Amino acid sequence: MPGPGDDMIRGTLDMLILKVLSQEPMHGWGIGERIQRISEDALQVNQGSLYASLHRLTREGWIESTWGRTENNRRARYYRLTAAGERRLGTERAEWERLSAGVDRILGWT
Amino acid sequence: MRWLGDLLFRLKALFRREELEGGLDEEIRFHLEMEEQKLRDEGMNATEAHRIARVRFGGEDRYRERARESWGVGVLTELGSDVRFATRRLLEHPTFSLLAVLTLALGIGGTVALASVVQALMIRPLPVADAERVVTFWSEYNWRGEEFDHVREIPESFEEIAAYSIDSYTLRADAGSSLVLATVASAELFDVMGVRPLLGRGFRAGDDRPGAERIVVLGHSLWRQEFGADPDVLGRRVALSGEPHTVVGVMPEGFYFPTPETGLFVPLDLDPADPAYAGNGWLVLTGRLRAGATDAAVQRDLERITTALGARYDYPTEWDKTRGAYVTPLREYLFGDLRPALLLLLGAVGVLLLMACVNVAALILTKTVDRTREMSVRAALGAGRARLARQVLTESVILGLAAGAVGVLLAVAAFDLLVASLPLRDAFRETVTLDWTALLTGVLLSVVSGSLIALAPMRSLLSGDLSSFGFGDRNSGRGGVQASRMQRTLVFAEVLLAVVMVTGAALLVRTVGELRALELGFEPEGLVALDILLPEEQTTEVERAAYFTELLVRAEALPGVSGATLLNRLPLADGGMQASVTIPGHPDLQGADRPTALFRPLTPGGFELLGMRLVEGRTFEATDTRDAPPVAVVNETFARRVWGDEIAIGRTYRSGFALGDVLIVGVVADMAVTDLTGAPPMVGYYPWDQALRGEAFGILTIRASGNPTEIVPALRGLVQELDGRAAVGRVQTMDNVVDAEMAEPLRLRFFLGVFAVLGLVLGTVGVYGVVSYSVERRRAEFGIRMALGAEPARLMGTILKQGMLPVVLGVVGGTACALLASGVVARFLFEVEPTDPGSLMVAAAALLVAGGVAALLPALRASSADPASALRSD
Repeated sequence: MPGPGDDMIRGTLDMLILKVLSQEPMHGWGIGERIQRISEDALQVNQGSLYASLHRLTREGWIESTWGRTENNRRARYYRLTAAGERRLGTERAEWERLSAGVDRILGWT
Repeated sequence: MRWLGDLLFRLKALFRREELEGGLDEEIRFHLEMEEQKLRDEGMNATEAHRIARVRFGGEDRYRERARESWGVGVLTELGSDVRFATRRLLEHPTFSLLAVLTLALGIGGTVALASVVQALMIRPLPVADAERVVTFWSEYNWRGEEFDHVREIPESFEEIAAYSIDSYTLRADAGSSLVLATVASAELFDVMGVRPLLGRGFRAGDDRPGAERIVVLGHSLWRQEFGADPDVLGRRVALSGEPHTVVGVMPEGFYFPTPETGLFVPLDLDPADPAYAGNGWLVLTGRLRAGATDAAVQRDLERITTALGARYDYPTEWDKTRGAYVTPLREYLFGDLRPALLLLLGAVGVLLLMACVNVAALILTKTVDRTREMSVRAALGAGRARLARQVLTESVILGLAAGAVGVLLAVAAFDLLVASLPLRDAFRETVTLDWTALLTGVLLSVVSGSLIALAPMRSLLSGDLSSFGFGDRNSGRGGVQASRMQRTLVFAEVLLAVVMVTGAALLVRTVGELRALELGFEPEGLVALDILLPEEQTTEVERAAYFTELLVRAEALPGVSGATLLNRLPLADGGMQASVTIPGHPDLQGADRPTALFRPLTPGGFELLGMRLVEGRTFEATDTRDAPPVAVVNETFARRVWGDEIAIGRTYRSGFALGDVLIVGVVADMAVTDLTGAPPMVGYYPWDQALRGEAFGILTIRASGNPTEIVPALRGLVQELDGRAAVGRVQTMDNVVDAEMAEPLRLRFFLGVFAVLGLVLGTVGVYGVVSYSVERRRAEFGIRMALGAEPARLMGTILKQGMLPVVLGVVGGTACALLASGVVARFLFEVEPTDPGSLMVAAAALLVAGGVAALLPALRASSADPASALRSD
């Protein structure tokens, strides 16, 4: 079952996580779920690598985490985008658009 | 500032590990629960949901591991757990660990000890300023005072040149007489050495000229021993061989020249009126080069010196000082002889260490393959391959460090033994000590050998596909095949090194045999010799003559003594006293062609006492006194060189030692006078009474009927009893002198012998380990084969063939290497070619037999095993 993290270009998963967190703070499981749902199951997150990514992003200072409560009153670690993370998302997004535009041009070339 | 935040995070992660770790677990637990919940909501039953949630997550361990790696503290924290794990594993296999540690410890210890000796003799600074600028001149103990004065001002590339020799004196200090060695030198000595005295002054210009006040500079250790390190010693008058000398200085601690044995420094008396000034050469010249003096400049100086010498002196060919001029750096001059032997031993012990590493690597490899299942399981559970390799490395380095600790202890324990076995003069032994550099070497060797050991197992681990390490069937893993190929390579290397070592040892055994078989020309057993010196200034010639005559008579009368004589030089131990001889009516032996002969007086009965063989004529009689006509006995070489086949007896000649014309009354067989292996020199023997009557120095040589050392106390007592002023110097048995002459090959044989045995043992253990391991691995296969009717003998043949292949290849390779390296040992051999086929065959045979036995034992075990039990074993 292919999914971002293992097979996708390294960093794509990071970008997706940053994007999801730019909407609202979220716990790990929720992030995976959201990516899967919004992509309409096209992208399934390899759940383990999700956490490796989260830790890496934390170390880079792009996201930070606090312990919070879910609606069902369960304790969970919530991740939140930092200002640096917001800037990073901008860069990554620009880069991605440049890249995918390039790919599109090749595919649309007759 | 990113790096700072990064560092802070890492540090935080390191110290708050528990917290982060706990968080990680909770986070994963939460995740799994949510996943389960979702799956149940989708209608899955609880058990299935639980399972699927975990499958989806993947290996929990692997993600924990990756999360941790992303914290960037992995290396540090894992090192700790690696060390704990490795230590536990090593302790679980005590036999293996002990074997590995001991093997390595021998190699490390030996290398540390020998490296310390090399450091002390070849690297540590000499007690001389800028020693690399101090050199000695080509002709050793052969310069006359006259020649020194003639050439000293010539060289431009030298700051100063000094002349010195070594002489013995009686020293009258508070506790009776003792015989001391002194460096007798020209005034420039301390300037050439570049060393200032600790107290007082050194030599001044003019101290070495006639009429100067008699002074002495004390060496530090003699000052301590004889004068209790008295700071007021300056100005004290001490009697050296009866003559008063004023102490003017004390040299600093650690200074010696040319050997630590010379306890004091006395100026030469360069008096042109003294016959010794122009007589026979006895000095060494040493000089200090100017800073930046080029080789070419030195060469020009040497040419100028030889030109000046050639213009003034007419040398006989045998000691033509105008030929082959060169200078020798001081260190080379002092220790040069020792260097090749030391380097050979260091090389050998290094090879041994390498073998030990190879052996332990093979052992670890066995263990690694044994751990196939463990490794596979751990790999499947998510342990990274690098992590597994790191664990092997940790284990090896821990082994290495443990071995290093044991090795350094071994080196300390065995160091004195090692130093005692080196052909070093006693005084130099004290300068050879273990110090912190030895410890450093030990640590360094431990880490290096530990890492070396890990190379092979790590390679097989990293290159093998861990997931294909079979579960359950350990015979089919590709890693296993690779590992055993690696093991065979290691055995090959081990056998190769062992062959080289055993060949070296065999060559030296043969050399010692050849030396032992040499004709000495005398019988050393039971002979003991004491140097005896009377204070020259306090005694008259008549007194001295009477003393030595009385001493001989009384010594012969001692119980256990079968005879006594006086010698001026001890065979093999002493050289020198060589003079040109003039033969009347022999025109072709004049000028440069005039021969030289050693001057060797002895008392009547001396030839018989030494056990020399008379060829014709007579030896000395009691009637050959000072008043009788001067006579001589010459050796065969003398007679043949001068008179060829004609009869020598009845002819006369004149020697340089002022005896007048002597009449030859006998010819004796050649004996080993100066060395064991060289061509015998011409020797003239003279009656002591005619040649040296009244001398202050003589070597009392007696033959004991029992153990010669037991008679020494009585002899010492006798020497003192007859005259309290007489001092005893060296005391040596002739057996020891002969052994000392063979010291180098003897020591080398001993050490290389020990190394060779260790090498053989290591090689055998290696072969045995590898073969029995492969047998063990293939037990099931053998069981099946035998159950299907394979003959045990054929099975055994297969095993033997496989086990012996690396041994045979190693023997071939080792023989080739031994042949290539033959130049290294050539200089230590005598009458044995370094490519001696006998020695090579011995080495090859030893390894083949040892390897064969080592392979045969497990093969026998395999072929005699009960097929059924073999099958059940796995």
